[in-house]
Amino acid sequence: MANSKASPNPPAADEPAAYLDMTPERRAAAKAHAALLSRTADRVARELPMSADVDDFRRVLAQEAKP
Amino acid sequence: MTDLASLSARALAKAIRGKKVSSVEATKAAIDRLQACHELTHCIVALEKDEALAAAKTADAAIAKGNAKGPLAGVPLAHKDMFDRKGRRASWGAKIHPDKPAAEDSAAIARFKSAGALQIATLHLAEFAYGPTGHNYIVGHARNPWDPTRITGGSSAGTGVAVAYGAIPVGLGSDTGGSLRLPAACCGVASIKPTWGRISRAGAMPLAPALDTVGVLARHVEDLALALGVLAGPDARDPAASTLPVPDYLAHLDDPVKGLAVGVDESLIAEAHPDVQRMVEDVLAVLTGLGLKRAACRFPDWQTLDHLVQLVQLPDASAAHTAFLRTRAGDYSPQVRSRIELGHFIGAVDHLTALRARGTYVKRTLDQTFKGLDVVILPILADPLPTLAELDVAANPNLLTAMGRVVKFTRPINYLGLPTLALPVPRKGGLPNGIQLIGRPFAEAQLLAIGQAYQREVPPEIARPLQQSR
Repeated sequence: MANSKASPNPPAADEPAAYLDMTPERRAAAKAHAALLSRTADRVARELPMSADVDDFRRVLAQEAKP
Repeated sequence: MTDLASLSARALAKAIRGKKVSSVEATKAAIDRLQACHELTHCIVALEKDEALAAAKTADAAIAKGNAKGPLAGVPLAHKDMFDRKGRRASWGAKIHPDKPAAEDSAAIARFKSAGALQIATLHLAEFAYGPTGHNYIVGHARNPWDPTRITGGSSAGTGVAVAYGAIPVGLGSDTGGSLRLPAACCGVASIKPTWGRISRAGAMPLAPALDTVGVLARHVEDLALALGVLAGPDARDPAASTLPVPDYLAHLDDPVKGLAVGVDESLIAEAHPDVQRMVEDVLAVLTGLGLKRAACRFPDWQTLDHLVQLVQLPDASAAHTAFLRTRAGDYSPQVRSRIELGHFIGAVDHLTALRARGTYVKRTLDQTFKGLDVVILPILADPLPTLAELDVAANPNLLTAMGRVVKFTRPINYLGLPTLALPVPRKGGLPNGIQLIGRPFAEAQLLAIGQAYQREVPPEIARPLQQSR
């Protein structure tokens, strides 16, 4: 994590989240998990219509309401 | 007077209103039970004895004058310690607390107060409500009242424990990935995680706002109905709070359930431990005995839902904690810190893809999985009640796998935002566990009617340590 002390685990400057002070093991595990999730996001994105919007969620809940 | 511990909040309120018992008597008894519960389970963050008794005297005086304040007048409650209360600082279960006392009550606390309820304590939660087991490496782990070597479930651990023990009839929790349902299952009580937006989150500590849902745990389903009626509704302080009308949940509690269709995804349930599969069948036997129709259904891609909810949750939680993580990283436990760090590795486009896809996946789930169905049943825990030691993974490399197994059946439902009722399984003398009934959007009244009918066959229990567990 960014702080006033020098990090014992300085990552390469072009690493994602290089500002976080993490052990190499934790950093590698985080990157691997994010990559796993990213593959799903990529697959889902290819199936989504261009018009898909973050507000669709609330709209669908309200439209499908069964009080 | 009947044993106060076994009364529902609704029955206790009626007894107080009818002067069968005073609010002071009820409050003293609740404090005594909560202290005994704490000795066993570590459920209290802060006990507020003097203030609660003063409020109870005020409630009794009002009742004596015929001015009972609301449906919970004089009823002592306690809540997860993450809700703003005017002039106080919530602990958030963490070393890092709000930097100043709250300027006003959270919506949930304000509505309980308006209903006349008292608050006797604040209760244990996972650090920043970011943990599904009841472990808390900052304030100490919560222990299960049925067997103190076992987990309570989290993050609303203290509420689950206190309700199960009979210290309080109902209390507040929240659910971002299972935090109402898991303590309900582990402690053998009921909970309602309403549709996302049904209850205002104003003044509740945010974890991942796109998923955060305020709800309640109770032994009696009628108390879930009572509390939801008090808490639900629009709120100018939370733009996500739904403006849809709030039904009279208590009036619908005894609606007929015969003929309602309950969906069973057998291939998904088969991923649970065989004992848990049997528990689901036990519950289905009760439900079909009540006249519900069993039907097959299928979630088309549970793992995709699980990945999508993580793509929303991880960066959402990290964003909420960015300022603290940059200045006070050492004040986080390694487990929570590692999960918050993880969110920084999720790309913005991936996060937005998950948010943009949400409406599509809700519609697809309703059109396909819920086709012809009223509710769908799933386990809550994938396994029989684990021990604290089994899941004491701290920030070990297997953290994500272990936690992923705990929330396997709960977390994806938060992505869909659907209402979910947790019910305890028939215990048959063993340790508690639970199932969840997932409903259509804003169909809480129907879920509660099913739960009410279920509890006529499987009555609520008070938790006490079993002589031998498992």
